[in-house]
Amino acid sequence: MTALGFRMAPAWLALGALSLSSIISMDVRAQAPAVDPAATPILKRMTDYMGSLKEFSVHTQNTIEDLLAPGERIDLEVSATVTITRPNKLLTERKGDLVSQNFYYNGKTLTLYDPTLKVYATEPAPGTLAGVLDYARETLGLVIPASDMVYPNAYELLMKDVSAAKVIGKTTIGGVRCDHLLFRRPGVDFQVCIADGKQPLPVKLVVTDTGTPELLSVTTMIRDFKTALDVPDARFNFVPPKGAKPIAFMHR
Amino acid sequence: MRSIRNAAIVGTGLALMLIGDAPPESPLPFQIVSEAHAILGVWRRTARRTVIVGSAVVATDAAAASASAAAAQKQAAAAAAPPPPAAGGAALPMGTVVSALPGGCTSTPVGGVEYYYCGGNFYRAMFQGNSLVYVTAQPK
Repeated sequence: MTALGFRMAPAWLALGALSLSSIISMDVRAQAPAVDPAATPILKRMTDYMGSLKEFSVHTQNTIEDLLAPGERIDLEVSATVTITRPNKLLTERKGDLVSQNFYYNGKTLTLYDPTLKVYATEPAPGTLAGVLDYARETLGLVIPASDMVYPNAYELLMKDVSAAKVIGKTTIGGVRCDHLLFRRPGVDFQVCIADGKQPLPVKLVVTDTGTPELLSVTTMIRDFKTALDVPDARFNFVPPKGAKPIAFMHR
Repeated sequence: MRSIRNAAIVGTGLALMLIGDAPPESPLPFQIVSEAHAILGVWRRTARRTVIVGSAVVATDAAAASASAAAAQKQAAAAAAPPPPAAGGAALPMGTVVSALPGGCTSTPVGGVEYYYCGGNFYRAMFQGNSLVYVTAQPK
C-alpha cells in the first residue's frame, strides 16, 4: 500500500522513509504480541449483537487524515447516516465538504444519487444486503458507508489475517463506558471501543494505514444508535427529484 | 490485489498529488480505508479542476494540464492508458475516462442520455465507483 516511491518527495527522502519504515516494522515483528484471548470475545460479542439486529440506524462522523504535502497533514470530515432493515433494505446519506451522496437499496434495485451534481444511477440489485454490498464493491467499485458493520460474517472478516490483538483497557467516550481494543493485520491496524453493558455497540473505530510512515488513520465516531425504527418501506425507494439526471454506472 | 495507484500532476509550476480511488476489493476493515480514498479521490479531482481553471490563462498550459489530468485519470482507472490528447483537441479513443470536461462543451440529449460535445469528442457522464467521470462515447 505504501506509495512513497511514486510521491513527489525527493528521492533521498523517500528512500530514508522507506528504510525507516522497514526498521520499524522489523522491530514490531520482533516483539509482536500474540492475539490476546481476552480481546476476541469482546469483538465477537459486538458483531453477534449487530448481526442479531433486525433493523437499526446509526450516525457516523468520519475524520480522514491526509497529506497535502509531505509532513503537512490535514483532517477531512465526512458524516454518514445509515439505516438498515434486514434482510434487504439499506439507505445511506453521506454528507461532507468533499462529497455528498445518497445510496438507496430496496431489495430490488440500487441507486447512487449525488444531490450536489444532481445525477443518479440505478441498477437491478441482488436480493440480500450482503449480496448487494458485494455487487456494489466488486462490479461497480462502490464503497458504501458502514458496510463493515452489515455483513453477517463480520467477525470472520474483521479477524482475517489478524496477527495481534490487545485489550488496551476501559475508557469512556461521550458518556459511554467501553472496552478499547487493538487489532493488527498486515498493512492495517484497527482500534475499536465497544460499549460494555447490554448493548455491545461500537462507539469509536480507528483504522490506521500502517503502510504510510505517518500512520494515516480514519477515525469514525459512532452515535445515535437506534434499534427500534419506524421506517416505512417506501423510504428505501429512490424517487428522482425534479431536475436530477439519470446516468449509468461503469462496470469493472 | 491492485495497489493504490498514484500519479503526479505537474501543472503550471504547481505540483499536486493524487491517488486514484482505492480498489475496494479487500474485505474489512480495508473498506473504511477505501471509503476514505473514494472520498479523497473526489476531493483531489475537485482540487485539480480548480487548479486547471485557475491556470487557464495560457492556453497551452491549460491544454497540458487537462492532458495530464486525462492521462492520470486513465491510470487511476487501471485501464490501458491512451496517448494523451494533443493540444487543440484530437479525437480520443472511445471509452476514454476523464475527470472533468474540457472547456466549451455543448450538451445535447440523445436517446435519454445527455452527451457533451467539446474538442472534437462526445462525452457522457458516468459513475466510476463513487466518482463522477466523463467517458468518450458515440451518441446513439
